[in-house]
Amino acid sequence: MKTSAIIALFPLLLTQPDFGPALSAQNVPVLEQILPNGMTLLMVERHDDPSVAGGWVAHVGSANESPGITGIAHLFEHMMFKGTTTIGTTDYKKDLEILAEQERVRDAMRSEESRMRAAWRRGSGGDWQKPENWTPRYRELQKKFQALVLEERKVIVKNEIWKLYQSHGGHGMNAFTMDDMTAYFVGVPANKLELWMWLESERIFHPVFREFYAERDVVFEERRMRYDSTPLGPSVEAFNSLFWQSLPYSWPTIGWPSDIASISKPQADAFHATYYSPQNITLILVGDFDPKQVSALAEKYFGRIPRAKNNPPDLVTTEMVQPAEKRMNAEVSANPQVDILWHTQPFGHKDSYALQILAQLLSTHTGRLYKGLVLGRGVATDVAASQNSQKWAGWFDISGEAAEGHTPEEVEQAIDAELSRLKREPVPPEELQKVKNNFAADQYRQLNSNLSILQNLIWNDGEGDWREINAAQPKLEAVTAGDVLRVANQYFTKENRAVALFTRKPENASTPSK
Amino acid sequence: MKPIPLLILLAALAEPFQAAHSAGIPARPEKLSFPPLKFDAPVPDQYRVTLASGPVAYLVPDRERPLVNITVYVRTGKYLEPAGKEGLAELTGWLMTHAGAGTNAAAQFEERIAFLGAQLDSAIGDTQGSVSLNLLSKDLDTGLGLLRDVLYAPRFQDDTVALRKQQTLQAMKQRNDDTSAIEDREADYLSQGETFWANRYLTSNSVESITPRDIRDFHFQWFWPSNFVIAVTGDFERNAMVSKLEKVFAGGPPLISADPLLQTGTPPPIPTNLTFAPPGVYLVHKPEVDQGRVSLLLPGIQRGNPDYYAVLIMNHILGGGGFTSHLMNRIRSDEGLAYSVYSRFQPGVYYPGTFTIGFQSKSRTVAYACAIALEETRRMSTQPVNAAELEVAQKGLIEGFPNFFNTREKIAEQFAMDEFTGRHAQDPQFWKNFRANLQAVTPQDVLRVAKKYLTSDRFVVLIVGNREDILRGDPTHPVDLKSLFGSFHEWPLRDPMTLQPLTPTN
Repeated sequence: MKTSAIIALFPLLLTQPDFGPALSAQNVPVLEQILPNGMTLLMVERHDDPSVAGGWVAHVGSANESPGITGIAHLFEHMMFKGTTTIGTTDYKKDLEILAEQERVRDAMRSEESRMRAAWRRGSGGDWQKPENWTPRYRELQKKFQALVLEERKVIVKNEIWKLYQSHGGHGMNAFTMDDMTAYFVGVPANKLELWMWLESERIFHPVFREFYAERDVVFEERRMRYDSTPLGPSVEAFNSLFWQSLPYSWPTIGWPSDIASISKPQADAFHATYYSPQNITLILVGDFDPKQVSALAEKYFGRIPRAKNNPPDLVTTEMVQPAEKRMNAEVSANPQVDILWHTQPFGHKDSYALQILAQLLSTHTGRLYKGLVLGRGVATDVAASQNSQKWAGWFDISGEAAEGHTPEEVEQAIDAELSRLKREPVPPEELQKVKNNFAADQYRQLNSNLSILQNLIWNDGEGDWREINAAQPKLEAVTAGDVLRVANQYFTKENRAVALFTRKPENASTPSK
Repeated sequence: MKPIPLLILLAALAEPFQAAHSAGIPARPEKLSFPPLKFDAPVPDQYRVTLASGPVAYLVPDRERPLVNITVYVRTGKYLEPAGKEGLAELTGWLMTHAGAGTNAAAQFEERIAFLGAQLDSAIGDTQGSVSLNLLSKDLDTGLGLLRDVLYAPRFQDDTVALRKQQTLQAMKQRNDDTSAIEDREADYLSQGETFWANRYLTSNSVESITPRDIRDFHFQWFWPSNFVIAVTGDFERNAMVSKLEKVFAGGPPLISADPLLQTGTPPPIPTNLTFAPPGVYLVHKPEVDQGRVSLLLPGIQRGNPDYYAVLIMNHILGGGGFTSHLMNRIRSDEGLAYSVYSRFQPGVYYPGTFTIGFQSKSRTVAYACAIALEETRRMSTQPVNAAELEVAQKGLIEGFPNFFNTREKIAEQFAMDEFTGRHAQDPQFWKNFRANLQAVTPQDVLRVAKKYLTSDRFVVLIVGNREDILRGDPTHPVDLKSLFGSFHEWPLRDPMTLQPLTPTN
């Protein structure tokens, strides 16, 4: 089981879900209520099976971080599973004393880390994260800290939130962090609604970030697993940073390794105070319940959390307009391929719908890229295209793997040729209709369980407006061939893109050494 | 690093003391009381229909959305591939829906599906094939016609076969790129044997030798209605659907151009000649990664084993239950050594499965994490579990039981799979009795099965990662990996196209 799915801006690895329209309008009946403290409550009554999918989205993600604490939104998400003042401990007072003592030792360690970093900058000490490079003083502090960890363990009840949910039939408990949002969700039997209210309100209201530094190591392992130790991870991370110049999408949601190793518990406390206020959170419940009862319970449990004096700061930075095309050449342990990104428009922007239609025209086995590059020219084995409409900015992505005997450059040229055609000739009506038919059917497919409806609402609310679950469809339906022609010409320019060409690294690395 | 104003730190820590619990909210969740929830397991026979055309079908209507979903499970599989033709099952499975069918050539067929906004997919795995159709109910009749074409009249046109072979060969080049792919493959070799049929992987020779004729024959051999089990959900009326399905499945592939000597109909039994590697560490050197992937392997059990329920609970407590499990608590929460850590004790359907403990840790802490995994396995087989954790495991599985059936698709697909694998015939009350069987498990049962199956002196431990760093270990927690599990072997990478071991290492 994983506590976090990081959905970061890694175009080769992930595509974003698309929420399409139906020819006959699908309407998800969402009830909205704003609690007196500013928290939003969304409810979808659905009596299909005796369970409730419950979740909440905090409108904060890695885009709200700053250099030095990249990765804190995600690390924080992990910490939200560590308990509260009453959950996760047998003796909170003692726990708190040990936590305070731990921070005193950590302060001393941070000073020492600062010295080790300075020595490393001068070339007179190795990487301070490797144990053999630790100073004697740091070793001593490590021991001291370790002793406090062991002492705290005596009063800790391990992973008690999980035990409570599990013994009440909770399932699918998880959370994720993205650039724009952090979300937490779980399914419970319908009769355990109040348990959800109790536990979720309690952990927003009274969280205790125990085992903070061990969890930081866990996140570092997550980073190694997802990115550092994968064939494309490091290059794709670098390409993402090349693409975004000023917008804080330029760093990975998981955080830079230097930052993950240095984020402190006091920083996490401050983060909580700034971003986990009621006015920055939306609660979402889907399933077998009476909305009146949910509303009353939400007021009772979540309504007690005081509204924060200040609203979280708005993100004011916007992406610079690119003055020139950006290019990257990378050697990787993978088949040769190309990835092209263009700056487009964010969630809810009027052009984002025509761009989604355009992405679909290029995608699938009957789309223009597969037909043109795989079946036609034979330069690629596989191709993909997507418009990604995020909260603060949008981007369009086309990627393709070169076929044996062809180069990524040839794939790039063939992609350009297909785009040129889209800029010149309006899409024929039948082809446009085919794409719209797919959006129509897809939107029903995405609503087949309480959990999938919950996740749809989480995503739409997190990116900007839950109403898009119903409102996006007519907008997609209204896109014309003229719109597609216009956006193709407007966004697919050389100056607006970044191109990454990946070629295979020479073999020697993968044969066993003696 | 920016200094944090002290005030914010104090405020955050002091908050819990200031906030009294609101009226009516208990201090602990144990004080809450919950209304009872009665959930009866769905009964297979309520949905089961034997079609006159041969297959058994499970029909579960769901009028909420205007979609229909049909999955056809097929008795076929990789195990039926002739030697030297590895890849035949996989290619046949994919090409059925991509290389033309009925009167439509490949491109035209895919256009028709796409214009309907439908999804029509097919695949053949180790021991089963499947063809599934998902579409708007208004297009059902058109879609069923296309489904019949795929099942009985796929065209396997030459150019698409050639393209798919090329794509397959190119994908094989990436076999050593990702450590997880290496780990999966070598774990199968070690736990089942190099000669076991499931480990006869595709090679460049085998793929190149496959002809359109081979594919046509393989399809013709096994795609007969007597080999089908069907799951149907969505927007339909039961009787109307039954008569539509009869029309889809009646008959079988037309007898054109097939070799009269080919065996068709019921496939032979699945071979079960497993061999398990001798105990010890098997280290595959992958110098460029800074995280070792680890699988600790032991022989597992097969479905129908009376120990199943005790094993399920035991595994849940050891490492299957996520954050409540011993392995997660020690390796992840206590020590921060891994992000993902689990144990899996899934019984095999046709032959015994493999018990696996898996995790990934930075190279230097691989040995330390291995030592903890070993210690926790031994503790499981020497000390009884306490009553509280047994209760959490039992309740988790029992109270969470409705989740097995929380969509109509899950109901239809679960029952169709039970029909397919023979469980419906052998143990028709399986789901009805499932919760009571779990409830009956005692701490003594858990200890007994742990002693019986967690034979930690027989662990086969596969590690893929940077050899030097892994063997150097962590100075704060020194562990001699070479002696921890008895013996130690350097295990070679294989050539990605032939799977022959590369230069042996010392």
